[in-house]
Amino acid sequence: MARTGSLAIVAASRGVAIAGIVLLVGMLPWLSGRSPEYSILRARYAELEATPEALAAVRRELGLDRGPLAVFGEWVAGVVRGDFGTSWINGRPVLPGVLEALGVSLSLMGFAIGVALVIAAALCIPALRAGMQGRRSRGSGMAGAAFTALPEFLLASTLLIVCSVWLRWFPPYGWTGPEYAVLPALALGIPAGGLIGRLLSDAIAATFAEPWVATWTMAGFPRRRTAGAVLRRALPSVLGQIGLVLIGLTGGAVAAEQIFAIPGLGRATLGAANSQDIPALQAGVLALLAVAVVVGGLVGILRGVLLGPALRLGSLPVPDARVPPRRRDLIVPAASALLLALVIVAGVFRDPFASSHGRLEAPSWALPFGADASGRDLLGRVGHGALATLGVALLVVLVCVVVGILVGLFPRLSIGPLEVTNAAPPILAGILVTALWGPSIQGAAIAVAAVSWAPLAAHAGALVQEAKAQPHIAILPVLGVGRARTLFRYVLPPVIGPVFRHSMLRLPGVALTLAALGFLGLGTDQPTPEWGLILSEGSGYAERAPWTVAAPAVALILAAVLAVSLAAHDWASLRVRRSTADAGTGGESPARGNESLTADTESAAFSR
Amino acid sequence: MTKPLARNLTRSIVAVATAIALAGCASFTSSESATPDDGDRISLAMMQPPRSGLSPLSDDAFKLSRWATAETLVVLDELGEAQPALATEWARVDDLTWRFTIRPDVTFHDGTGLDAPQVAAALTAATLATPKPRILDGVELTATADGDDAVLVSTLSEDPLIPQRLSSPQLAILAASAYSADGTVSPLGTGTGPFVLTAVDGTSTASLDRYDDYWGEPAAASGIDVAFVPDGTARAAALRTGTADIVESVPVGQAAQIDADLIHEVPMPRTNTLYLNTETGPFADPAVRAAAREAIERATLVELVYEGRADAASGLLGPAVQWAAAERDSAGHRSALDTRAPAAAIDGVTITLGTFTDRAELPEVAVLIEQQLEAVGFVVEQDVREYQYIEADALDGAFDAFVLSRATVLDSGDPVAYLYSDFACAGSFNISQFCDPAVDAALGAAAALPAGAERRAAIMQVESLILARDAAIPMLHERVIQGEAASVTGALRDPRERTLVDVETRVAD
Repeated sequence: MARTGSLAIVAASRGVAIAGIVLLVGMLPWLSGRSPEYSILRARYAELEATPEALAAVRRELGLDRGPLAVFGEWVAGVVRGDFGTSWINGRPVLPGVLEALGVSLSLMGFAIGVALVIAAALCIPALRAGMQGRRSRGSGMAGAAFTALPEFLLASTLLIVCSVWLRWFPPYGWTGPEYAVLPALALGIPAGGLIGRLLSDAIAATFAEPWVATWTMAGFPRRRTAGAVLRRALPSVLGQIGLVLIGLTGGAVAAEQIFAIPGLGRATLGAANSQDIPALQAGVLALLAVAVVVGGLVGILRGVLLGPALRLGSLPVPDARVPPRRRDLIVPAASALLLALVIVAGVFRDPFASSHGRLEAPSWALPFGADASGRDLLGRVGHGALATLGVALLVVLVCVVVGILVGLFPRLSIGPLEVTNAAPPILAGILVTALWGPSIQGAAIAVAAVSWAPLAAHAGALVQEAKAQPHIAILPVLGVGRARTLFRYVLPPVIGPVFRHSMLRLPGVALTLAALGFLGLGTDQPTPEWGLILSEGSGYAERAPWTVAAPAVALILAAVLAVSLAAHDWASLRVRRSTADAGTGGESPARGNESLTADTESAAFSR
Repeated sequence: MTKPLARNLTRSIVAVATAIALAGCASFTSSESATPDDGDRISLAMMQPPRSGLSPLSDDAFKLSRWATAETLVVLDELGEAQPALATEWARVDDLTWRFTIRPDVTFHDGTGLDAPQVAAALTAATLATPKPRILDGVELTATADGDDAVLVSTLSEDPLIPQRLSSPQLAILAASAYSADGTVSPLGTGTGPFVLTAVDGTSTASLDRYDDYWGEPAAASGIDVAFVPDGTARAAALRTGTADIVESVPVGQAAQIDADLIHEVPMPRTNTLYLNTETGPFADPAVRAAAREAIERATLVELVYEGRADAASGLLGPAVQWAAAERDSAGHRSALDTRAPAAAIDGVTITLGTFTDRAELPEVAVLIEQQLEAVGFVVEQDVREYQYIEADALDGAFDAFVLSRATVLDSGDPVAYLYSDFACAGSFNISQFCDPAVDAALGAAAALPAGAERRAAIMQVESLILARDAAIPMLHERVIQGEAASVTGALRDPRERTLVDVETRVAD
């Protein structure tokens, strides 16, 4: 009885979430604070005066004068029939174009996944080898962390210049043969592969440390069989994260498609959002979501196959990937924190706005990071940008903590919104928010927050469940303690700490996402010194004046290395050896099965 | 033992990766442009993808004329005077009507012949479009066939510029099959030009073939392969790697890395202007406006923001309007400028300076202007927003000063429309809130004159009056950088951005 009840809640939650998305997408023309008729007029004639008559003519032509309900009803009915309407811009049916773009995007994703798999495999081999020799590998993944901290758009521009212009190996843009896919696939696949490889090699290392491996070895099982079993044991715990990385590819693809002029879905949807071609935007958003749902579903199936009955029993302990730290492990986080602090402190006392230096002036003692194209001091811009970028990221993360914990209190109710949010890459949210309110830093922050609370909510949900199951809390109602008091006094305190720590690890990832949105023109306005904006301003000069991108890129990498190196170790054990780790202990996490929260926590540092 | 496992693992992963990658190959856009260096086809990288499905009733019309696929009744020469195209001659029938004789023996790409009824139908389609094409803004135009070889074009009020208006790419004449009942217009295989538009792949590529039955000299090149490449670095790379023969709009920042022989600067009919609010605020005083004029250092702006790839402005009309500079030497022009108010001394006058982010260089210009104005004693508060959020405030006079890059000759090749909307009392784009009876009278006189030397002199008279009042400070004229591979000959460098490839453009082997 209770079981059917909870199933019904879960089903209802999913239904409501999907209906909510359909409603949001369907109502776009009215939610939009920007007037669609104005944007369409501008798309047709750049400097035509926007008279009320001209706007009314456009509104009539689009059928917007019939009111929201009629238009929404028609749209839903059309979608059910497979008719997504006709473009407001060119008057042709939307669907064929979207399907074609989807095909391009899927094949680009395929190539990128190919690259990512190769890189991930290469990164896993050391851990596998060390494990089979009975050592525990101490993931030296800092280089990997630095690589994954590079935004795709920067990697894409660099690859374009190096491999296409200097080496002449590949064509610079287009999509007419396999050789055109190499550079964009590398730009997308390298960060994704680096991330998957790191997650997986940590999981492999942790699994090798489990007692059963020693038992198997003692029992004389062939090492290859043991290794195979370790892989099978390690893979499911990070599959959920791998799924998120693959979904994230659709977001990164927008930048790659823009740079390499690939006619993919991301570029089409971004274009539709900018020109307010709402029918095309609606179809594009639904298609991107569909990709995410399919990827998520496939990963779920794969996980079920790998785990077998253990999944249903919920009895699988989660391997703790965190390695007890040694003193010298402090060097990396301390050094990166120090460098970052140095840059910020040196930068905030300089003027980030005045163009008092030469255009693209090279770095010197007086001007350590050089000057940008407007002759502005880059050290000043990067230093101030730390406040703008990390500050906004911090705000986003704090909002996510609050939302995550609140939502985590109702794990079954929240499963639908949680899944939908997890399926939406931040770029998609950014496109939607921009379509609604125009580009701004607030919009970008809202977009990132809107999709970043989900992992925290899942974590909080698991911890709440775990806390409630503790005997000393289970007994409270019997002792006459009220529900509110139980919640605030006994359940929440052990939840807040770990979730907060988890959230801090997401900070660089959030900053990176904000930067990527800035690059696509979905974020901060000029002349605010924000790292993403500085990077995108500089990316046109990357070859001529490499310092214009080096300064903000180094700052981003430092932030990422700091977060990753902190996440890799269980620092608490350096002070007091505690028997339980904060986030790593298992228990059933109803929202996401018994996926490794540790892996989850750690990957937070990169996830976009 | 570990090695075979690692090797097996690697092998299987490479196999899976290859399989996924191969499965993706099906999606590549087909063939024609796959061999860009094939024969004597021109490969062209353009900046903006089509925004309105290449409908000629939109700004996409300029692409159709740059590819020489859609043609108009008349074309403009360098002075902005009308020359025959699909019309061989024209004459004014009465004050409100013009008669255009249609060129005989012209065929559309779909095989049908060009005749007067189709010309009238095409023009009528443009007049009925919503929104109205920009060239017809404020003009009530009707076109009727006069027999099979002539068209009568009449307007509600007298318009001496009708031939110039008909040169606008938005009024291109397409075959009957181009116009569908729902109002959409397709230029695919329906033009009359030396190239046939054969395929358009959304916003990524388009291809054109030579039209062998072209009415004029047939094209030297056998076709054009167009790619739309929004990223400036990629466009520059296309030129450096030889992927494209002609590249539109190379970003200024990229030009330094490219062989100087490959890039050509084309002056644009755009003037980066500082509009001063002549109605309210500190700039209502002409002496304060004069102080602002004297504070602006144009050379610094050109050097810092545009790396020298722009022209410091000496008037509202730049070098793209080729006759303007000569007219500026006239005695009348100089004596008008002598009446300018002397500059006042400024000490702590606070002004607001507005501009927008849609053109990346404008905020950079605003940063420099702020520094230059503050150097002479102004206190400047900047307000920078996206264009659509600032337009209404700017037109209402909410700013004391506003930086705008303004197109001076939009569609007809004639600057009167720009001068009227920006500086007439009733002008619709009067950011300066400027109203002067003498300027209005001069504008009226210029507008009534037929195109020619007299009209040009009258236009410059208007310019001198506006400059004399310091209603706006012209700062610089932009240039666009066109890239051409060394093998390209005969590409057109058109300030109006109407032409690019024509019958003589070719790529040597």
